[in-house]
Amino acid sequence: MQERADVTKVDQVERLMQRPLLYNNIDGVGELGLGFMFLGSALLQWLPIHASWWHRYGSFLGFMLLITAIHYGVKAIKTRITYPRTGFVEYRRRDFFWKGMIAGAVVGLVFGVGATLAQQLHWKTALAHLGLTTPAALFGLVIAAGYAYGIAKVVPWKVAVAAAMAICSIAIAVLPQGVIGSMTANTSDFGALVSDSVGALLLTFMLYGAILLISGGISFALYMRRTQPVAETAE
Amino acid sequence: MNLKTRKLAELDRVIHEPGRLMIVALLSAVEQADFLYLQHETEMNKGTLSSHLSKLEEAGYVEVTKTYRGKIPQTLLCLTTEGRQAFQQYRRRLKEAL
Repeated sequence: MQERADVTKVDQVERLMQRPLLYNNIDGVGELGLGFMFLGSALLQWLPIHASWWHRYGSFLGFMLLITAIHYGVKAIKTRITYPRTGFVEYRRRDFFWKGMIAGAVVGLVFGVGATLAQQLHWKTALAHLGLTTPAALFGLVIAAGYAYGIAKVVPWKVAVAAAMAICSIAIAVLPQGVIGSMTANTSDFGALVSDSVGALLLTFMLYGAILLISGGISFALYMRRTQPVAETAE
Repeated sequence: MNLKTRKLAELDRVIHEPGRLMIVALLSAVEQADFLYLQHETEMNKGTLSSHLSKLEEAGYVEVTKTYRGKIPQTLLCLTTEGRQAFQQYRRRLKEAL
């Protein structure tokens, strides 16, 4: 019995060490930032296809502006709302660096496998359609799994958000060809098959952006309701 | 005294106290955090938290910096190199003892 209690103590220490990382999204701002990133990326994919006035370098500039706006927007909310209510935390840079590198490698691997699969199947129209929407669907499933592991395991209702993401990814993979192709207007710049691939990614970004904004918005509202700025007293 | 009991007896008493263990575990995962964050996570009152922090500071495990965020006073806390080493050693010994 004593041994079991001690094992629990070791587990508790390990869990405590994870808490500061989970604190990063206590206010839902992390999800809001990611949601805006997905929607902004979708817009920057959509504009070159549908807006004739859009300059080809505009996407690069737009992406830089998007990242800057999200970075400073998140920082402003944390400084003005989160830190005065539940405290300030500065993370160890190396933690984020390695996690970013690993996440990038996983996403790259998924895209690489998906693209290879698509290339090998492109001579059979039906399979090619599946092959070209598969990378986007796999990308979505990886994001959903990461979300379930990182966020939903601590906040139970977020399991529904992870499930919604996974369902969207599967739905995109099995959508009829014409629907996804129409997202990119089947433009002459894109062949029908490539059109499907870009359309699937565009749809994934739009749906994930919307889901994360809703989830982050609910978390933010709950956080604001549960917490109050702390009165200034001696520490 | 068997080996496991001896390992338990070797645990750092400053860190082993539950309140201080919480503080050190939380600080070990970050570069620095403020007093309000620790109070929020540990759910201790100001007096108790201050008392534990004083003991950790005396042991040289925690560095306390008084500063301002705008016009509001802020107490920043971080583990010293010695504190990180002591915590790592504590975890290792605790695992060995079980």
